[in-house]
Amino acid sequence: MTLRDLVMVRLGVAINLVIGQIVAALLLPVFLDSIGTILVAALVGPRAAIAAGLVSQVLAAVISGNFAWLPFAVVQVVIALYAWGAARLGAFRRLWTAVLAGLGLGFVAASCSAPIAYFVFGGVTAGGVTLVTTVLRALGVPLGIAVASASYATDLLDKAIACGLVCVILRGLPRTLAARFPVLAR
Amino acid sequence: MIGYVAGRSPLHRAHPYTTLALAAAVLFAAFAMTEPLGVWLLVLAGALLAASGGVLRSSARTALVVSLPIWALLFVLYGLLGAAPRAAVGPLDLSVPGIARALVLGGRVTAIVLGFLTALATTSPHRLVEAMTARGVPFSRTFLLASTLTVLPRMRERAARILEAQQCRGLRLGGSAVARLRALGPLALPLILGALAEVDEQVLALDVRGAAAGGRRTALDSPPDSVLQRALRWGLLVLVLAAYAWKFWRMRG
Repeated sequence: MTLRDLVMVRLGVAINLVIGQIVAALLLPVFLDSIGTILVAALVGPRAAIAAGLVSQVLAAVISGNFAWLPFAVVQVVIALYAWGAARLGAFRRLWTAVLAGLGLGFVAASCSAPIAYFVFGGVTAGGVTLVTTVLRALGVPLGIAVASASYATDLLDKAIACGLVCVILRGLPRTLAARFPVLAR
Repeated sequence: MIGYVAGRSPLHRAHPYTTLALAAAVLFAAFAMTEPLGVWLLVLAGALLAASGGVLRSSARTALVVSLPIWALLFVLYGLLGAAPRAAVGPLDLSVPGIARALVLGGRVTAIVLGFLTALATTSPHRLVEAMTARGVPFSRTFLLASTLTVLPRMRERAARILEAQQCRGLRLGGSAVARLRALGPLALPLILGALAEVDEQVLALDVRGAAAGGRRTALDSPPDSVLQRALRWGLLVLVLAAYAWKFWRMRG
């Protein structure tokens, strides 16, 4: 990993952890805690993006004190690889293709996180997702289906917005800055 | 949230790898336990660990703050909405297997949180970096773990400044979900683009400090390790493996 990659990983981690502050101020029902990972995948490549995702997961645990969610680190690896593939296919060139790629990413991420949430934590994880699960369960939906539905609903929205925002960021990069990322030029 | 608390306890003096191995053992063992008794013995072990580090009060308080919302959700999802048979406890009609499952899941989270908070409170970041350097861990890994935490307050401060500046320019944070989503761009873009513009400067700063130089680095203040501590770390690994072997043997039986 070059020094530039290293600095980009650190930047991706910081974005993942700080963007929540803005999301909380806007009272949006999403996390957007993987924007940094997706951005690093699009600008640098998969190795740096995986590092950004894993370090984010560990540091989020250090900051929040909740280390029980460490098994979800697998999801960060999947997000990094998917985002890199999407960037290689040029999905972030237009907003609509980015949102479409985000919906795909949401589906893939939820397919990974829902089994972990159900089998490892019995469906009780982050507050918002679990509230949806509880409401569905109260309506008589079986627990497994309630957990999966809550995961898919939140992840589809979350990742579509995240990928859309990354597209806007990449399009907003000044040419002089964009030229410093060879992966972007490809 | 709890951070490093200076002290002279055995955990403070232990090699950082030993303290982290203890926390990791609690994490892995917690997922191997399927009965309430086993999980709550682990919670007890976590509490004893915190007491031996002299950080029981602060660790337990933070663990409680982190675990309480999870306990509340578990109670509703498993206790109130769980399957039959049910038992009346005062005015409540609770699911018996649901409560047993909630005790396992909630105890698991509490044990893990308690174990890691204790490790965090008794492991000096400086000693950890020195221990990693002494073991030949590449600079990139120690840099990522240690330096990202120092960048976060700066980024947070910048995010708060951008938020205030955009509000001064008339940006409204309330309104419909679509209006709030539209406000995300003017807040997130300056933060991220501004940080990207600083990348070159940071690369240069690292380069002049010799970060790109290869070869093994010398730790100036390497924490002492001992045969006993190494044996303890291997013993913890064996214990965790035994816990999983026992779990799968019982599942087959």
